[in-house]
Amino acid sequence: MAGISRRKFLIATGWVAGGATVLYTLRNKAISVAPTVIFPDAESGAAWLQIRPDGVCRMFFARMDMGQNANTGLAQIVAEELNLNVQDIEGVTPSTSDVTPIAVTAGSMSLTAFSRPTAIAAATLRESMRARAAIKLGIPGSDILDDAGGFQTTDGRKLKYADLVDQTNLMVEFDDSKPAPNLYTFDATRDKKQVGHDVTPLDIRALVTGGAVYTADVPMQNLLFGRAIQPPVRNARIGKLDTTGVSDTKGFVKLVQQDEFVGVVCKTPSAVDAAMAKISVTWDLQQPINQQEIDRLVDVDAEMALGDLEHILLDEAHRKDVDWAIDLRFDVQTQTHAAQEPRAAIARFNDVDNEGETDHALEIWTGTQDPFGIKRFASMDTGLSENDVVVHPQRLGGGFGGREHYEVERDAVRLARAVKQTVKVQWTRQDEFTASRSRPASAHRVRIATDDAGNLSDWWYGYITGHVVFARERLPDWLLPVARLAEDMGVVKGALSPYSVPHQRVEYKDVDLPIDLGVWRSLNGAPAIFAIESAMDELAQQKNIDPVEFKIAQMDGGQPRLQNCLQLVAALSAKRSLPKGAGYGRGFACGIYDKRCYVAVSADIHIDHETQKINVLHMSCVQDVGMAVNPGQLRAQIESNLAWSVGMALLESFEVGDNTIQSANFDNYSIARMADMPSLDIEIVDQPNIPPAGAGEVALVAGPPAIANAIRAASGFRALSLPISFKDVV
Amino acid sequence: MKLNINGVERQVATDWQDETLLTVLRDHLGLPGTRFSCGIGQCGACLVHVEGSPVSSCLMSVKQAADKNILTIEGLAADDGTLHPLQQAWIDENVPQCGYCQSGQIMQALALLETTPDPDDADIDQAMNGNLCRCGTYDRIRKSIKKAAIVMREAN
Repeated sequence: MAGISRRKFLIATGWVAGGATVLYTLRNKAISVAPTVIFPDAESGAAWLQIRPDGVCRMFFARMDMGQNANTGLAQIVAEELNLNVQDIEGVTPSTSDVTPIAVTAGSMSLTAFSRPTAIAAATLRESMRARAAIKLGIPGSDILDDAGGFQTTDGRKLKYADLVDQTNLMVEFDDSKPAPNLYTFDATRDKKQVGHDVTPLDIRALVTGGAVYTADVPMQNLLFGRAIQPPVRNARIGKLDTTGVSDTKGFVKLVQQDEFVGVVCKTPSAVDAAMAKISVTWDLQQPINQQEIDRLVDVDAEMALGDLEHILLDEAHRKDVDWAIDLRFDVQTQTHAAQEPRAAIARFNDVDNEGETDHALEIWTGTQDPFGIKRFASMDTGLSENDVVVHPQRLGGGFGGREHYEVERDAVRLARAVKQTVKVQWTRQDEFTASRSRPASAHRVRIATDDAGNLSDWWYGYITGHVVFARERLPDWLLPVARLAEDMGVVKGALSPYSVPHQRVEYKDVDLPIDLGVWRSLNGAPAIFAIESAMDELAQQKNIDPVEFKIAQMDGGQPRLQNCLQLVAALSAKRSLPKGAGYGRGFACGIYDKRCYVAVSADIHIDHETQKINVLHMSCVQDVGMAVNPGQLRAQIESNLAWSVGMALLESFEVGDNTIQSANFDNYSIARMADMPSLDIEIVDQPNIPPAGAGEVALVAGPPAIANAIRAASGFRALSLPISFKDVV
Repeated sequence: MKLNINGVERQVATDWQDETLLTVLRDHLGLPGTRFSCGIGQCGACLVHVEGSPVSSCLMSVKQAADKNILTIEGLAADDGTLHPLQQAWIDENVPQCGYCQSGQIMQALALLETTPDPDDADIDQAMNGNLCRCGTYDRIRKSIKKAAIVMREAN
């Protein structure tokens, strides 16, 4: 934005067309490597709101929508502050040239990080409108009271926002040296009309009529179709390449080869399939790919036998030689995102008119969690300046942590540049499975000892996992070794237990596995809490104590919100009776995601000898993520997490073969289907005094151990590795 | 080559006659509501009705569909914009999350209700088990189908 005033900038982007706009800018500077991590702080933010001359409120939707629907929650906050109906707010998804950089949409941070800045922006706009009303009517602002869509005076005169704005552009800027205006959203005594109510997504009609636009649906003129070869792992190099006959394909336009990049451009999608099928590549791998190699690398017992693990997360009066009541190893499988939409990108190179302010040399349309990261990487890849690249973010058909990188965008950009025409690339399902950065396999050793009173005395938890945030090629080569000296925030998620223990050690090592890895829903939260909650349940079973009572006792009052969830889920599950007879069981688990989101889950299962299946019949869930801005949306996210819990516990397993990725489509990677889905009872704990924390990946930490613990209750079988199959149990 | 899509006759240009029905709908005829997801008929995202029967359009060549009557998600609402009872139930139950699979889910649910106007849970499990939803909206889909079934039975 250098050299252009904010006002000029807003006019140039078409954002200001009269009316009043409130604008926050971020004081932090962008860093040059992905992902984009500029979150608004308490007083500054990236909230862009406008009341247009016709009185309509427009807002920039700062979050990338992939089904979590966070923007609706933020719109509810704006509506609450401005006394509007949320349905009347017009949302606009900004391109990367419309706004200053905004953080990657990830980590369930949207409501956590954006709710307060958004509320401040809206309240600032409201108070500036009130000041205008005071001038217009010649009475003090204190005599101007809130009213739906505007204000009313103490003597009953009404003013709509539309009466207070005109065709001139009024810019309202928040001065953070002064206190923020009164925020209605966070006023626990207020009878809220918008916040705290169920709101369906503002664009839901488009989602049921086929009208929703994902990247591959963006209408384009003179479009060509392309795709590039995806290696089995990103550090593989082409050994042998055979492209014989590719150019004979009907509809063929161009074969593009650039170092390790090989792609084709054709006139139609099926021509691309035909041309790609003729390309044969033999890959040189830097590390063999097979399950034995992965198992060897995460062998936590072998590593702990050699001494301390690489990172000590917690060390409190640790004792090595005690009589361990529990000494179990848990192995968690690799899992992949398998979002329903195979990712896509469209790239177009333009003839730049240097006079114009909105013409960019390169435009990219893509569904990504990190539009500003894509912009930076496209700039580095092409040699164009960042100002010459614009990313138009599109709705994502599922993200789950897997859509942060410059990959399908790279394919489209390189192919479009080579043919000097607009190119669309959509990955095949096999590309998705091969090149999505899966959740690493991990192994966990949990040792627990108790004192004479039966309370926890010693806790020793060590684990090895593949890297998550610092996975290979998620950061530049020069930065990776340095970054890895520090804690990988994905790897440490879930590692600290909620239980009170005088002697504790938690240690871990993160390793380079031979497949591409990265961020997957809940990161290490679900694997670590599966191990911890399974171990605690086993201890309760061995002591013949009710697991819920035992866990609450061992929290020793230190986790009131988690304890509350667990107590409530015990009561909720008790409303349904578990069928009598062999093979039925009920299990419980609880957990904290990212130190701010609390959840407890119960599962009822049946081990069916006739169909040779383990069926999850019912799940109950109680979740406390602070203020419930949109309770219906929280419930939807819980349902999604519970479906993933069934997948993680019983179904999903990402398979590798001899130097290949074997899981290539839904016929050899099972996710939960309709018939796998249990009935659900869900309860939201609303905390109007606590700012909202995220909900996108919370219940997944407690769902899988609840299922495993139910299997233990039904059969005596303690699941030590996931997924659990019928054969394991009998 | 001609297709009859949602009651409207459409021409397929020569260059597109070796394509699948799915890519013709999406990339040639401007009807992208039918989605590509697996490409092997394993997920149901590309489901359309051909002569009244549900078909994975990723597996059907456009030649096979020539001259046939095809119904896509875009043709489900009435001309005046009134939604089909299934679409309305989907909104009432707030089903979609990412939304990508929902066109196929609704088209499969339509096929179910055309043969089974009052489906029980087992009917729904069986009919819908080939339609994947990674967001896990199954519980709401089940409720919506039952809700729409009531509306459709009352209308008949």
